[in-house]
Amino acid sequence: MLPGTLEMLILKTLSIESMHGYGIAQHIQMLSAHVLTIEEGSLYPALQRLLVKGWVLAEWKISAHNRRARFYRLTTAGKKQLGIEESRFSQMFGAIMRVMKTT
Amino acid sequence: MGSVLRRLLFFFQRNQFDRDLEGELRSHEEMKAQALADADGMSGDEARAAARRRVGNPLRLREQSREPWVFATIEAFAQDVRHALRLMRRDPAFTFTALATIALGIGLNTAIFSVAYGVLWRPLPYPDPDRLVMISSAQQSETGVRTFSTWAPVSYEGLRPHVTALDHLAAYAPIDARLTGRGEPMQVPALDVSPNFFATLGVTPARGRAFLTGAAAPDDDGGAIVSDRLWRTSLRADPAIVGQSITVDGLPRTVVGVLPPAFSFRPVIRIGALPEVDIFLLNRWPGDTGTSAFLFLLGRMKSGMTQARAEAELTALVNDSSIAPAGALAMEGARASNVRTLAFTVGLQEYGTESVRTLLLILLGAVSFVLLIACVNVANLQMARLTARRGELSVRMALGAGRRRIVRQLLTEAVVLSVVGASLGVMLAQVAISFTLPLVPQSVLPRLGGIVIDARVMAFCLGLSLVSTLLVGLVPALRVGGATFGEGLALNAGATRTTGDRQGERLRTLLVAAQIAMTLVLLIGAGLLIHSFVRLTSVSPGFESSGGDGVVQTVRVTLPEDLYDGPDRMHAFARGVLDRIQYLPGVTSASVINSAPFGMMFIQGSFEIEGQPKPTLAAGTPKIDAGYFKTMGIPLLAGREFTARDTADAPNVAIVSERIVREYFPGGAGAALGRRVRVGIMSADGEWMTVVGVVADIRQQGLDQDVKPMIYAPFQQDRSGFIRFVSFVARTATPGSVVEGIRTEIRRAAPDLPIASAATMDEAVAASVAAPRFRTLLLVLLATTATLIATCGIYGLMAYAVAQRRREIGVRMALGADRRDVLRLVLTRALRIVVVGLVVGLAGAAGVTRVLQRFLFGVTPTDPIAFTIVTLLLLAVGLMAAWLPARRATRIDPCAALRAE
Repeated sequence: MLPGTLEMLILKTLSIESMHGYGIAQHIQMLSAHVLTIEEGSLYPALQRLLVKGWVLAEWKISAHNRRARFYRLTTAGKKQLGIEESRFSQMFGAIMRVMKTT
Repeated sequence: MGSVLRRLLFFFQRNQFDRDLEGELRSHEEMKAQALADADGMSGDEARAAARRRVGNPLRLREQSREPWVFATIEAFAQDVRHALRLMRRDPAFTFTALATIALGIGLNTAIFSVAYGVLWRPLPYPDPDRLVMISSAQQSETGVRTFSTWAPVSYEGLRPHVTALDHLAAYAPIDARLTGRGEPMQVPALDVSPNFFATLGVTPARGRAFLTGAAAPDDDGGAIVSDRLWRTSLRADPAIVGQSITVDGLPRTVVGVLPPAFSFRPVIRIGALPEVDIFLLNRWPGDTGTSAFLFLLGRMKSGMTQARAEAELTALVNDSSIAPAGALAMEGARASNVRTLAFTVGLQEYGTESVRTLLLILLGAVSFVLLIACVNVANLQMARLTARRGELSVRMALGAGRRRIVRQLLTEAVVLSVVGASLGVMLAQVAISFTLPLVPQSVLPRLGGIVIDARVMAFCLGLSLVSTLLVGLVPALRVGGATFGEGLALNAGATRTTGDRQGERLRTLLVAAQIAMTLVLLIGAGLLIHSFVRLTSVSPGFESSGGDGVVQTVRVTLPEDLYDGPDRMHAFARGVLDRIQYLPGVTSASVINSAPFGMMFIQGSFEIEGQPKPTLAAGTPKIDAGYFKTMGIPLLAGREFTARDTADAPNVAIVSERIVREYFPGGAGAALGRRVRVGIMSADGEWMTVVGVVADIRQQGLDQDVKPMIYAPFQQDRSGFIRFVSFVARTATPGSVVEGIRTEIRRAAPDLPIASAATMDEAVAASVAAPRFRTLLLVLLATTATLIATCGIYGLMAYAVAQRRREIGVRMALGADRRDVLRLVLTRALRIVVVGLVVGLAGAAGVTRVLQRFLFGVTPTDPIAFTIVTLLLLAVGLMAAWLPARRATRIDPCAALRAE
């Protein structure tokens, strides 16, 4: 995975609804048709980075399966950041594609 | 620093963080286990185990998750630091005062600590230096205990094979060696050492080898080991020096080794320190050296041995007459039946630094005071500023900054202040040390070479800045936790400004009073030293070291035994040089003495007056030539000076000093003339001499020493070897050219004779008070710094108080108070604070100054003059510091002050 994309994927996931760590990993895995597997070893540090930067907030809630879990939700700053990341990503993606299509 | 602080700050939130993460991972695991159980039909336990395996090492995961925070903390810290720096820039007056204060406090502490550490505690450059001890003896009798540093060779030889508490027992004797044949003849500090000397120290030469020991030792007779310094200078760093011959005291000596550069040995005898030794000569002191005691004993204790056990064994040995023959123990010799001899040990390090230990500890105490005063001052400033910043802080708290966040910000500000201040302080110390160390007389501080600002000193400095951070930052920061601040205050911050902050005010007043008290103690200490220094230097030495017809110049040489083997040759040398010196241009009179006043050498002994009971006093017994008293400016009270006719063949004559007349001739100076006296070292066994003159007393050894009885005898009539030490004295208006002239004459008479020293009597007197001058200067410097800081403290407090009470003062003035009333209002308040400080300080000083006792001369530790002057001085300074803000208060415009609200 490209550096920085994990954060973007998490932000995108959370922009749909607030979710716990396991849920985030499952969601990304599912939507990517198991192409992207999220390791716990990179998921949680990434979540902490987002917390530090103030893009997400965490709170303890009861999950759908009646289990206590820590839910992350996007902050206003996080939404803004997602926009920035998306446009930066599509720029980057477009650029890479242009290079790959030549020849 | 960074990592420590980072950890410290993270610590605040760590518990919550860990709890959250722990719970989060557990729930993650459970969800995963649940999913596995649902999909693959695993049992609960199996699923949990599989989930745990997939999640991986929880410790590592936790570490990884924590990382973003740790870096974020650093970032927050950096932000706080930036904020602190911005605040510091915005308030340059505060910043300058605070930084200068901290820099002074920490700088002085670092400087004094580096000196104290270098001199007192830096380990000696030998392996296991703690096991090295000097062995002295003490004789206990009903009259008290007398201690002796030296031993007779027979005692050393007796002790050495029997002592089991020591691995090695070595002996040494300091000598002045004459190095010739390598350029200018030089007098070099040297040591006669026993073969095992270097083995005892544990030192191996960098080139060549140490002296052979045991049965092989005689092979090294005539061997020498030289210091790295001598090898580099006089021996031109000749790499092939080992095996070559150098000429020491006229004899060829084979160089067997060159010591490593770091090696330094300084034999310490009674006063201060001798120079570092450059030549070590092997000596085994043959048995015929008699019972005179001149050897210093150095031992290396067995590992695990205690000094007490070693002392017990040595004491038992020295009291065994088969080992240490009676009379061989010390200079005093005779061991009466009622006298018990004790052997005792002193650590080598302690032995060399005993003379300065008290002084350095006092100075360390004094600088800690200065630092404390400085910290109190900065804390005070911070608190004043905090009150001014109450609006800002309250708003921040209202906007959601936690109390912890604010405290952290304040602590960060203190850290920044302290770190910057401490760095400035270390630079200050570095400058102070490099400027002052060359001025420090060797006799005051031994081991000056060991004084550097190194890692250990820096660690000390770091500790200091940590302490100062806490002192400076914690007091104000903790008050944020008090009732004074809060969200509620934010909106009416303006209103609170006029009533002031009573509790903080009281604390600040107390701190300033404490500053004054501490400053007073320091100032009184300095005052006592100044007063006793004035007393000391106003003591007349008894001779006229400088006057209308010029200054007295002395040039000293030591006549070596190999060249001057009898009194006649010594007489001839002195006579020959003196005859020429008298005609040097600019010389009004000249003479010779074997122990010039204020010199290193002072020969004294017993004396006897014919027909009188034997006196218990010892007398100085200088040998002088005609014209000595005229040259030195010592008044002749009765009779005549020696003349050229008082030759070896003429009748023996003597001149006595006033003190002898006072004690033994009630009839006055005239009564002494014509009487006969005799002198000797141990007992008055010399020839009878007829008293032909009486001269005024002089202080032969130093201004702080008692006037000794003196019996002068003609140089030419002396039959002892003590005229080997020759000091030429000349009164001249042109000392510089005369020294050169004397040097030339000496070289003409004896080409291989080095000049031991040349100095004017003024210089000699100045050198004798170098130590008291040095310590007086240091304490005055410290006290002045403290006064400066405390003055800033009072000024700051009063200026702040005036600013706080603008409205009140404005109201008073509007109601008819005039300027005098306002002035009185402010000054009375300052006076109250200062007086409280002074009273406490006086009580403290009365208790503390006793530590100065041994440095005082003609002054008691509670000297009323010093106490009074210093108290008045500080009172005046205190009021002056309050005067400026008070004057500003009188200029308050009542209307403007009221309108401002």
